[in-house]
Order: sequence, then structure tokens, then C-alpha cells
Amino acid sequence: MPFITVRFSSFRNLEDGEIDVAGKRVFLVGENGQGKTNFLEALYYLSYGSSFRGAVDTEVARRGTGYFALEATSRMEGSDEDLPPEKVIVSWKERTKTIRRGEKPLRDRKELIGINPTIIFCHEDFSFAVGEPERRRFFFDQTAGLVSSLYIDLLREYKRILKQRNAALKEGQVSVLEFLDEQLVSRGKDLMEERARIQADFEERIAVLYEEVSLLGREIRLRYRPSWPNDAGRNELVDYLARRRSEELALGTSLSGPHRDRWLFFSEGEEFTATASTGQHRLLTLVLRIAQAEYYSAQTGRKPVLLFDDVLLELDPGKRRRFLSALPDAAQAFFTFLPGEPWEDYRSEGTIVYRVEHGRLAD
Amino acid sequence: MKALEELVGLLTRLPGIGRKSALRVAYHLLKTDQAYAEALAERIRGLKSAIRFCSVCGSYAESDPCPVCASPARDRSTICVVEQPQDVVTIEGAHEYRGLYHVLGGLISPLDGVGPEQLRVDALVARLRGGEVREVVIATNPTVEGDTTALYLKRLLEPTGAQVTRLATGIPVGGDLEYADRLTLARSFRGRVRL
Ligand SMILES: [Zn+2]
Repeated sequence: MPFITVRFSSFRNLEDGEIDVAGKRVFLVGENGQGKTNFLEALYYLSYGSSFRGAVDTEVARRGTGYFALEATSRMEGSDEDLPPEKVIVSWKERTKTIRRGEKPLRDRKELIGINPTIIFCHEDFSFAVGEPERRRFFFDQTAGLVSSLYIDLLREYKRILKQRNAALKEGQVSVLEFLDEQLVSRGKDLMEERARIQADFEERIAVLYEEVSLLGREIRLRYRPSWPNDAGRNELVDYLARRRSEELALGTSLSGPHRDRWLFFSEGEEFTATASTGQHRLLTLVLRIAQAEYYSAQTGRKPVLLFDDVLLELDPGKRRRFLSALPDAAQAFFTFLPGEPWEDYRSEGTIVYRVEHGRLAD
Repeated sequence: MKALEELVGLLTRLPGIGRKSALRVAYHLLKTDQAYAEALAERIRGLKSAIRFCSVCGSYAESDPCPVCASPARDRSTICVVEQPQDVVTIEGAHEYRGLYHVLGGLISPLDGVGPEQLRVDALVARLRGGEVREVVIATNPTVEGDTTALYLKRLLEPTGAQVTRLATGIPVGGDLEYADRLTLARSFRGRVRL
């Protein structure tokens, strides 16, 4: 089983101690504010070293302690049961975060990715459908980063070059701009190629999944609109940047490049975001996460761990059933439920159920 | 204890030393024998006057010019450009390179307000004016700042007729010259590429 045990110490409102999660499905049942989402957040921390809710380390440490520690034992799907389980520890103390794999401290958060590949379905995802373009860039960058640490390096480098370039524009350091342009174009073109590859893969995936769950007969198309002309070569792009020099110097910032790329959804020739209902937006965000999980499996040959935070609640019974059947094969899945939901119906053999109350988990 | 506090305060200004380590060092000094403490204080006091900048390459040495710049055994047709004096020590440790050095004293980084004017770039150009130098090896770290500096120098030095190369292989992306092991560094020197 991917996650076997999880240990909490001073994390949010969760009671200190170790919890057994060695089941194909784990249900967390409880009223709001009892700690269900905190539990999923802990698993996410153990997968990526950060929160999916945009919370910073200070916020997740139990109030007044300035400290937290999480520990998980896990075993990669299909790996030998005789081998000792993998151990990941994420702790935060004196404003410093430490991530360990076994005894070995990891130098970079990205080394954690792939030990427990986790995909979260949560409320914050709603912004992928209706939020700022930055939110959709975040989603697709995350998708690419899940399967390639080279993409993470590339994006980090691009952002560093961009920061240096913006500083040079602001300070009017004209003599170094042409060299930063060259680097921006080099990494930027690589990012564009990678994003175009993802678009080609996701276009079909999303269209099929959306129809499968909604049964609306409405086709959704994903479009990738790069900020730079798509077919321009490196030299042309360097010229393109040089031509806009005075404009950028006047504003003190980089006006074009992959940091301004756009991802759009279209339906019947119109932008989906403008014409769809809240329910359809919600459905699209669920479909995006399913597509992400499918993409991960297709690229790596591994099944992810899925975390569902209250997502079934907002679907009518028909959509709920179709959503569950559209889910990709998961190595393990965690669901949160309100006590009034028909969670008993989703139970299968080996499902572990915990009641969550005041941060305490009980069988 | 004012004397202890003051020492801790000074120690925490050293790179990589937090308050905790500073306290540990201070208490250790308190426990240690007087001769050691005196010797340490003496070396710290004498450091700045004993060691100076080499006016040619810009690295640290006890003499000016430094032993490398003064040595008739070094290959004067090659100059290796590095970010800081420590890099000279690192590269010398690999025993692969026989040419001269030039320390820039930093890298181009608009974020930190560092442009070419803040670096020892003019001095480098002046050294190339004699026409004796045929190759400039740029050994800046493979970071955004190291790359920007390398691209800038390549453009600047091209008209001098010297060949400009860069250490290319072996050093991990985002890695630091300081942490590259000797073998990797030796390989990097042999496999340097034309910019
Ligand atoms: Zn010298």
C-alpha cells in the first residue's frame, strides 16, 4: 500500500500520534472544522513538502508551538512486501523546514516528488476554471513537473532569468539586457515546447472525460495560447524582444514570454469560462484533476494516490456515480465525508473508516 | 556576561554561523587553553595585513604579484576567469590547469545591483591588449548569473581575437564550483567548449 502509517506531531488541530492507513480506500467522516482536510493536507505535505491550501509553514504548526513534524511510512505500488517501507519525514522548527527520506535529508523539495505521487481534488481547484490565467498556468506547470524534474528546473531557471531581466529593466541596465534576452528565449522556447506537448495530450483527454461525466453533449476544447509567436525561431524572438526594448524599459517589466502564456477552454466556438454555469465550472475542475492523474499514469506507468476533499458533496447522484467510474485506477484513495452523506454506499472491501472529531481519529 | 555576548554578536556576523553555533564556539573558546585562543586572535589580527590582492589577477596572496602570476612556469597564453578568489584555490587543487587567472569579484546580477562596471572587467580587457593571450576560459558557475556574465564576456572579448571557452561538462546544473570534486573539475577543463 502506498501510505501505510502517518504520524502527526503538533500539526494543525490533529491529535499527536500514529494512524494506520494501510487500505486501498480511506474514509474520513466528520463535521466541518474537525480536521478532515488537515489530514489530507498532512498527506500532501508528505508528498510535496508544502500545503495545497496555499498555507505557509507557520500556519500549519499548532498555535503557539512554532513547530510541527509529520512522518509517513509507505511502499511503492507493486514493490516487494519484504522490503522495509520507505520513510518520509517533514518537520519545521525554528523557521527551518527539513525533509528527510529515511535518514537522509533532502536538499531540494523536488527530490520528494515521485516517492508518493499524490493528486488532490479540492475547493481551491475551482479557480482553474474561473480564476486568473496564473492559476491555469500553475495547474499545467504542476502537471508537467509531476512527470519531469527537468521541467521544474527549466521553470525555476526561467523565473530566475525573468527576475534578473525585470531588475535590469527597472534599473535601466541596458548593457546586460541582450544577454538576458538570449537566456529568456532559450529557456522560454523549451517551456513552450513542453506546454504544447501537454496541450496535445490534454485536449482529447479533457473533451472525452467532460462528456463522460456531464452527458451534456457539449464539447470542451483546451487551447494553449503562448505569449510569443508560436512558430518564431530563437533569433526572431531575440529580435522581437529587442524591438520592444523602449516600451519595456519605460514600464520596467517584461511584457512578453511564457510567464504570460494563456490556457483557455472553448466550447462551441465560445470561451467556456464566460458561458458555463457554476456547476459546469466545478465539473471542469474535477475533469482536469482526473486528466492529471491519467496523464501521470500514462507517462510514468505508476498509479497515483488520490485525495478527495468534499468533492462528491457538490455533485448530483448521477454525476457522482459517473465521476467515480471515470476515476483512473489509483494506488490508494482518501475521501472526506460529512456524516450525512451516503458514504456507506461507496465502501468496499478493505476500506478503512475513521470518524474525525476535534482533531481526533477514531475507528 | 558582556564579554561573551559581544563575542557571540561578532561571530554571528560570519557566514553560515547562527546564534546557536556562535554560542557553542564562544563556550568552546572559554574552555580551551589560553595559548590556542591567543594564536587564533593573533592570526585573525594579522590576516588583513599579511594577505593582499594580487594587482594582476585579483586573487589573494601574500605577495603582489601572486606566485601564479609571477611564475615563469605558467602558460601565459591562457587566462581562466573566475568569480571569486576561492575559485582559484579550488581549481589549483585539481592540478589540471597551467595557465593564469583573472578574478572578477562577483557576477552580473541586476537583482543585486551588480553590473559589469562593478566587476574587474576593464582590467581583464587591459590584460588582453598585449596580444599574448590566445584563450580565455570562463569558469563561472552554471547559474543564471554565471551564464549572463559568460555571455557578456564572450561578446566583449571577441574583438580581441582571443578564443573564448567555457567550462561545460561535469558541473551539475545549479551546482557550485566550490563543491565540485577534483575529478569532475579536471574533466571540465579538458572538455571545455568554445562559446
Ligand atoms: Zn595574481
